[in-house]
Amino acid sequence: MERSLTAASGRTFVGGTLLALFCLAATAGHAAQSLDLDALQGRVVYLDFWASWCAPCRQSFPWMSAMHKAYESQGLTIIAINVDHDRADAQRFLQTFQPKFEIWFDSEGSWAERFKVSGMPTSIIIDRHGVARFTHIGFWPGDSDVSAQQIRELLAER
Amino acid sequence: MKTIMLIIGAAVIATAGCSSVGVKPWQRDILSRSDMRPDGGGLDDAIDDHLYFSKEASSGGRAFGGGGCGCN
Amino acid sequence: MQLKPEAAQLRRRLIAASCALLGTSATRSQETADPGFVQRLVKNWQLESALAYYHEDGRIQAVEPVVNASRDYGDGGNVSFNFTFDALTGSSPNGALPSHAAQTFASPSAKSFATARRLYTTAPGNLPVDPDYSDARAAFGAQWTLPLTRLSRLTLGSKFSIEDDFYSGTLNAALAHDFNNKNTTVSFGIDDEGDVIQPIGNTPVPLSNYSSFAREGNKSKNGVGALLGVTQVMNRNWLAQLNVAADRFSGYLNDPYKIVSVLDMSGNPTGYLYENRPGTRTRRSVYLENRVGGERASAGLSLRYMTDTWGIHSETAQLRLRWWSPDRQQYFEPTVRWYRQTAASFFEPWLTGAAISNIRYVSADTRLADFHALTYGLKYGYSLGDKLHRPSSELTVRVEYYQQTLSINNAVPSALQGLDLYPGLKAVLVQFGFSY
Repeated sequence: MERSLTAASGRTFVGGTLLALFCLAATAGHAAQSLDLDALQGRVVYLDFWASWCAPCRQSFPWMSAMHKAYESQGLTIIAINVDHDRADAQRFLQTFQPKFEIWFDSEGSWAERFKVSGMPTSIIIDRHGVARFTHIGFWPGDSDVSAQQIRELLAER
Repeated sequence: MKTIMLIIGAAVIATAGCSSVGVKPWQRDILSRSDMRPDGGGLDDAIDDHLYFSKEASSGGRAFGGGGCGCN
Repeated sequence: MQLKPEAAQLRRRLIAASCALLGTSATRSQETADPGFVQRLVKNWQLESALAYYHEDGRIQAVEPVVNASRDYGDGGNVSFNFTFDALTGSSPNGALPSHAAQTFASPSAKSFATARRLYTTAPGNLPVDPDYSDARAAFGAQWTLPLTRLSRLTLGSKFSIEDDFYSGTLNAALAHDFNNKNTTVSFGIDDEGDVIQPIGNTPVPLSNYSSFAREGNKSKNGVGALLGVTQVMNRNWLAQLNVAADRFSGYLNDPYKIVSVLDMSGNPTGYLYENRPGTRTRRSVYLENRVGGERASAGLSLRYMTDTWGIHSETAQLRLRWWSPDRQQYFEPTVRWYRQTAASFFEPWLTGAAISNIRYVSADTRLADFHALTYGLKYGYSLGDKLHRPSSELTVRVEYYQQTLSINNAVPSALQGLDLYPGLKAVLVQFGFSY
């Protein structure tokens, strides 16, 4: 499942505040789609910013697939936002990893800007009430164990 | 050559101090390519360095890190 | 947002890094099945290898295999090992000048002309070279990069090399810190080198007469160096790097096999002296590199200016261009390098008998002379990334042509007229590479 992101409305604050409704609309030529994060309330959301040229992302994708497989039924939604300039590069990466979770495209970087992404990759874990609780800059095995634990904690919260 | 290098070098140092020079973390696609990395030459650089060291009076000066994808 | 305090994070990384070196895991792994040692080795380690063949026109030939194995720990930590071997054979200039008369020399291990196992004669007009030069070198290096924080790293390294007549050990350490969202990186490194020189046939007494076969014991030299560098991302397509470096060597800095021709007033050789260089040498250099790149191509220009206490200063400029195929599976990389150096203050292509008594330092080694050199090269790379599912995997081949042209302007005495005194150097390098 892939969707395009460009023009966006709504306010976002990273780090412990409520995420307001924000719309992810498609570019001209595609039917406008919007993702209502409020509709995702009740689910734990793992938001990940990635790129085909980001070496640690080659590790994070198998891990995210494992998380999706293990916890999707318990309420985890993974949304991976791609920031490649060139869509073809992203497609080649996806060919290799064939992820089952949602992939979105933000080639202008407006979403990365909005979330103040300060390193690649960046992941933000949002709880069932839409509050951004944890941010991880970078991906490596030791840190991903921490993320997995945090996901389990948030899934356990009702 | 010395003057040109001093001028450009001073410019590099001056810009290094500016926090506005550079790119956002998600704009490092081209910089992450091997041909854009200062250490991307791999074994070629080591072999060249050894060759020039044994035939000329100068050696080294090149070094490490920075640039690249900036990941992690 | 929940980020662990920096101190706890540093402690965790230190433990992880040291455990990783010992081959155990410091974290509770999510893996349920152990893929097997060999499989893990292949999966986690990267290998780079190259085989270079070097050939100088009428002089030295060398074969040099190099292997580098490295393991990335994802959090910025990295371990790498490097093995280099090179075997040289051929003819090496001994420092003497051509003459209209034939000249006879003894092998380095000789104790006298009479008892020498091997003598070699240089025909009239030719540059005196030892035709049976051979040397084998084995070198080993290890390097460990330890992340201190997300923005800084410590790198520790060591190198050892062994040759027939030379042993060297180096230790180095470097600290790198990122600023401005990793757009700026400042690095500072130091290194210390210790060498032992055990020339074949023992060390000739400096400035002694060649035919006296005077010898002394083994020698050593020591060097320390420091380097400060700044790497700056200028924009999405442009990276700049500026380094300043200095080093100081002291001890035995001579080439034990090099001699200097002693000529009479007309220019006929009357004998030879062993060279002698100062016991210390301090060098300073500035290096500037700029790389600009687009989707399919890039260009890199590096400039280096060096000056030292031997009176040598040099300028180096190298341009590398890369063109990628549209699918980025292949590339061509032409390069051109221009180099120029001025002579050491004690460089003399020959000595006249009258000058000998006042001489303190002298060398006729053309590596210390005034010359310029040009290199032209072309490299081709073929990516195996897709086939082997390893993005950096590739096959490469490169060819380079190197030419050195000396510019020594001493007035030529009558007996040396009509001779090509400074033939310079022409060499070709062919190298095959494979990385996995």
